[in-house]
Amino acid sequence: MPEPTLCNKKPIQTEDALKTLLSDTGGKQYYQEMKSLTVDSRQLWETIQKTCKSRLRTWLNICAHCGMCADSCFLYRINNRDPKQVPAYKIQSTLGEIVRRKGKVDNAFMHMAMETAWAKCTCCNRCGMYCPHGIDMGVMFGYLRGLLYQQGFVPWELKIGAGMHRVYNAQMDVTDEDFTETFIWMVEEYEDEYPGLTVPVDKVGADIMYTVNAREVKHYPEDLAEAAILFHLAGENWTVPSRGWEQTSLAMFAGDWGACKIQVESVYDAMERLKPKRMVGTECGHAHRATVVEGPYWAGRKDGLPPAESIHYVEWLAEALRTGKLKINPEKRIKEPVTLQDSCNYIRNHGMKEITREIVSYIVEPGYFIDMSPNREHNYCCGGGGGFNGIGLYREQRNKALITKRDQIINTGAKLVIAPCHNCWDAIRDLEEEYRIGIRWSFLKPLILKMVEIPEHLKPKE
Amino acid sequence: MYDLLTGPGLWLSIGIFLVGLTVRGVLYVKGLNWQLDRVAYRAHPKAGIRGAFRSIFFWLIPFGTRSWQTQPFMTVLFFVFHIGVICIPLFLYAHNLILAEKLGFSFVSMNQTVADVMSWGVIVSAVFLTLRRLVLPEVRILSTAYDYLILFLSAAPFVTGLLCRYEIGNYEFFIILHILFGEILLISIPFTKLSHILLFFLSRGQLGMDFGIKRGGMKGKGLAW
Repeated sequence: MPEPTLCNKKPIQTEDALKTLLSDTGGKQYYQEMKSLTVDSRQLWETIQKTCKSRLRTWLNICAHCGMCADSCFLYRINNRDPKQVPAYKIQSTLGEIVRRKGKVDNAFMHMAMETAWAKCTCCNRCGMYCPHGIDMGVMFGYLRGLLYQQGFVPWELKIGAGMHRVYNAQMDVTDEDFTETFIWMVEEYEDEYPGLTVPVDKVGADIMYTVNAREVKHYPEDLAEAAILFHLAGENWTVPSRGWEQTSLAMFAGDWGACKIQVESVYDAMERLKPKRMVGTECGHAHRATVVEGPYWAGRKDGLPPAESIHYVEWLAEALRTGKLKINPEKRIKEPVTLQDSCNYIRNHGMKEITREIVSYIVEPGYFIDMSPNREHNYCCGGGGGFNGIGLYREQRNKALITKRDQIINTGAKLVIAPCHNCWDAIRDLEEEYRIGIRWSFLKPLILKMVEIPEHLKPKE
Repeated sequence: MYDLLTGPGLWLSIGIFLVGLTVRGVLYVKGLNWQLDRVAYRAHPKAGIRGAFRSIFFWLIPFGTRSWQTQPFMTVLFFVFHIGVICIPLFLYAHNLILAEKLGFSFVSMNQTVADVMSWGVIVSAVFLTLRRLVLPEVRILSTAYDYLILFLSAAPFVTGLLCRYEIGNYEFFIILHILFGEILLISIPFTKLSHILLFFLSRGQLGMDFGIKRGGMKGKGLAW
């Protein structure tokens, strides 16, 4: 039987295919076709035999079914403690079952598995911290997503997203020209205010190579200008690559490991080409996870590290504030109740809990910062991680998932939420739109710009 | 029967237990793959060892992790059960007598009162662990016949052991049953979830290395488990 035209096992490889799939508004035909998509059980089982090795097998086999993971999962808690939302149940009834049945599962099963993998888990990895055996179900769901993607059972937006990376090396249809043109144009807008402000493109041997999230280019170009201004004020020797500037990876959310590799290698190529001392990525969680934490493994780098030392924006900012490269005007520090969102992807999963709090200590008047509870590596997902924010099919479930974060924020009494992560930022924006709790939310860059002191020699001359 | 069980039976069960468990351990480590697991195990040995050690250490301490702290009832059950099932087989005076006689070596023996408390602790916690499976919806949905079998295999030697200890019923019968259950338990360890007596350490160590090497262990203070 021929594969359906929109929903099939083939990755999106061309601009035309991408446009065709995009024109199917909301994935109406795509999901219709998915109902008749066949499962290639042989391919599925062969993949499992090749890739499901001792770590995953042991996790599936020794799970004591103790249920201690239940309360760790915000989706379990928010969905009236539905036993079907217990992490161990979710993974055992999907991946566990596929393995037990040696890949012999049907279309209905795969639909159920798809909903479980993308609407009942955000891969926040919190359950992994609560299992006595050290079973990280978030990691297993990542693996399951890969199997589902291979078989064509992937939400419409993520199939597109992964295709974008294959076609544009970016999560959106932003070309390399769009990127440099937008960056240069945005910087020109601020030249008068900040004399000497430039965006050095493709400078070899700079101290910093800056990488971004494509949607900054497409929807939030202000962010690019802010980044440029702060590097400028800090006196950094920085550059952006004209190719390999996109740090994000919707392919990671989709489980399209081939596209993950293509994407991350485009950034690593830029590092090899421009030989920067360090790469700094923008205020994004999954982008950092994809390019810095997981990326080296997709690219086959045995040391598990990118070609150049790569740090998150918060690490650069904390360092700039610590060393005095950027100086905060104490008068302008935040003087209202403020809280901080810990992004799973670089707090729990890359150990930066102290870094973000160090920044807070510089920019918030003492007494005004209130931490959420729980916080740091024990913080809950924003409610929209792992691709959840972007999937129309699961919008209702996502909106419910936001309640956890909503209540965490309400309990702090804060009016402002610092959210140095695109996904978290979106989720917090959406929860305000959905539930109207009267909060504002912000990345760090615009906050810093409001309070940073401009060195005399960088001020505009009359 | 008694001679059979304390002679070849003992040798066989201990042998299967040790060899089987070793095989499980070797297979586990051999099956680890830096690229599939996405952990550069060999590249950062120091961070890896530190992560593995922390991951095991905090979980071995009662209330040593956030998970243990937030579920105190389970934590007490867990530790009472596990301390008993580890200490009684190894350090009970009566067991050491047999070990010394059959294998020519023995471990230190514990005070009989302590042993009694521990054994009863195992029984009581096993009852509550079973009730937990039956009563709590989030545990019930996960529980299978296999899980109850594991609980039965683990608790049976203790029930029969205590019957012998207090000489309730037919001692001759229960001592044979006790040894039989003990040997069945030993033999079943490598082939069932009970292999976690080794795989717990390996799995915890692996996740510790994951966090220690890749997921932030080389930055900051390390994960607060």
